[in-house]
Amino acid sequence: MISFWDVVKRSEQGEKISEDVFNRRVGKESAEVIKKYDIKYNPEEVVSSDDKLADRLFDAAVEFFLKVGVYCTDTGRVMKFDKKELFDALEAAPSQVTWGAGRDERVQKARQAEDSRPPFCNFTLVGTPYSEETFLQAAMSAAKEPLADCFSAGSLAHTLGGVEVRSGSPMEVEAGIWDVGKRREAAQRAGYPGKGMYTMVSAAERADAMIAAAYPGFGALPRDGMLHGAIAEMKVDYDRMKKVPFLLRTTYMIGGLYGPLMGGYAGGPEGTSMVLVAHHFLGRLVFRTEYSCCFPIEIHHTCNTTRRMLWLVSTSHQALSRNTHLLHFSNTFIAAGPCTDFACYELINFGVASAVSGADLSPSAVARNRHPERCTGMEGRICAEAAHAASRMGMTRKDANQLVKKILPKYEDQIGKPPLGKTISECYDMERVEPTQEYLDLYEKIKKEVSSYGLKYPSFPRG
Amino acid sequence: MAGEFQELVKAVQEGEQERVRELINKALNDKVAPLDIIEKALRPAMEEVGEKFETLEIFLPEMMMAADAMSVGVELLKPHMSGTGAASNQGRIVLGTVQGDVHRIGKDIVRIMLEGAGFEVFDAGHDVPDDTFVSKIRETKPTILGMSSLMTTTMQNIPRVIQALESEGLRKSVKVIVGGAPVLPDWAKEVGADDYGENAVQAVSISKKLAR
Repeated sequence: MISFWDVVKRSEQGEKISEDVFNRRVGKESAEVIKKYDIKYNPEEVVSSDDKLADRLFDAAVEFFLKVGVYCTDTGRVMKFDKKELFDALEAAPSQVTWGAGRDERVQKARQAEDSRPPFCNFTLVGTPYSEETFLQAAMSAAKEPLADCFSAGSLAHTLGGVEVRSGSPMEVEAGIWDVGKRREAAQRAGYPGKGMYTMVSAAERADAMIAAAYPGFGALPRDGMLHGAIAEMKVDYDRMKKVPFLLRTTYMIGGLYGPLMGGYAGGPEGTSMVLVAHHFLGRLVFRTEYSCCFPIEIHHTCNTTRRMLWLVSTSHQALSRNTHLLHFSNTFIAAGPCTDFACYELINFGVASAVSGADLSPSAVARNRHPERCTGMEGRICAEAAHAASRMGMTRKDANQLVKKILPKYEDQIGKPPLGKTISECYDMERVEPTQEYLDLYEKIKKEVSSYGLKYPSFPRG
Repeated sequence: MAGEFQELVKAVQEGEQERVRELINKALNDKVAPLDIIEKALRPAMEEVGEKFETLEIFLPEMMMAADAMSVGVELLKPHMSGTGAASNQGRIVLGTVQGDVHRIGKDIVRIMLEGAGFEVFDAGHDVPDDTFVSKIRETKPTILGMSSLMTTTMQNIPRVIQALESEGLRKSVKVIVGGAPVLPDWAKEVGADDYGENAVQAVSISKKLAR
């Protein structure tokens, strides 16, 4: 596989163009390959069962990636790769990894579409801001869920010890160290001290702060993960690339974080699905990723539970599952807030569509991922239980499509005006860090309804 | 003339730069007032493009192509409108993503839509230091400053810029609008912004309101 230093050289010697020219190139090439490979969105086949479409989507992503390359915003240069380098990198990727330690150790193995093995589940509160006071309990609400094979926490809102946390300031390093420690403390207090951390820190955006937080004494276990975000679409910068030489000398896992915007530079659902697949090539070659977190979102509604987004999720993960052995998490972004019918329907649809498409699961960004304290471990439970149920009953993509289409009308017309729901303090008993009876009853009601549509829920362990 | 305007609207919306050039030259030869070409063809064309983008009937690449075609038209008309300021008669805006934040797609969409709506936009870029915002305001004297942030660890730089404008005696000369994923309306008010836009469409409507 091409060395990281060859990649760095290309970022210094590749074609020099402006970012604007690169953005337009993404749009133009995306439109061309979508046409050439006949990729068409079908609103009636929200969960696609077309294997040939998945394969054409993968081929389109390969052609797109080889033509467009990856733009380095620090040097203004395009890194190009050839087909052999790309396929070598895909071949060299791990098909399984081990998360966590001791009795909390879990193995993640590559999945196929309609796999009867349930998805590997990361419960996350990604991006939702929490105050210093509620951060720990919120993280515990995710860590303590039995279906959480690994977990992550939310983001620290604004201050730590009364001092502002600002990217680039010394407080970013301090907050990063505090963040990783609190995550590990959350796992310990939840009774899963060795549970793997999918991403060990959120409070640190810059490479220096992330690297500082990764010092083992602060809370990270040897196989915890660190995510590298691509800058949408098909771009990277040196701050993200700086983490690679550090991580290659550690035992930490390297994750890729890809959030192309549907409606953005890559165009509609077809182009964005294709670009999401191509981001995995970027991740393997530039960041040397071992797993990925995919959170495509719809540009205006900031969620991925609409009809078009579910199609995009289903086709992109099928393209990856059928043509690679990569480990790819499908990250839920829902419009509604906790403890609402609306949110339950979105979570179930996303869990089912992702699971039958061969993805692993990473629930959930809730309430459009922007409202403080409005995300809990319970949304992860709702999404993951639906995904487990679909896989374990051997649900086909065709049946999943019927189920998802039955649920979609319950929320799709209102996706622009979703209910905000409740904060964690309003829908959890914060002392026990357990959902309130109101929330449990609501979920039971929705589960009963969805069961009547054909989703067979097995019995799940609690606590 | 309505037929020609309709053709020009179509050419802009389809991003046909050559056709736009051809139709505008023809209209100028026919002594059509440049302001009429803007008000009856270019601006309505982009307004419709904005509406279609809002409902996702079209996507960003199509909107960018239409914006480029409109720019070609505006450039052609500018020499015929010197001194009227009508080519960008909605007002002048400085835009940027605050320091520490490398995200830019949201800001870029806001820029394209504001330009389409007739604003003259100075894009300060992303990861913009506070001082750069201040010097851009001093240099371009805009009606509005728009700032965005996508992270909780960078949004605190928004009030810092507002404070810097106050210290430099510039705050009263410019309206401040803010947006971005973690930015909420109450917070915007609390830190002293004049208004808040949840998305690009709202950014355009509040800018129009504030520029009046």
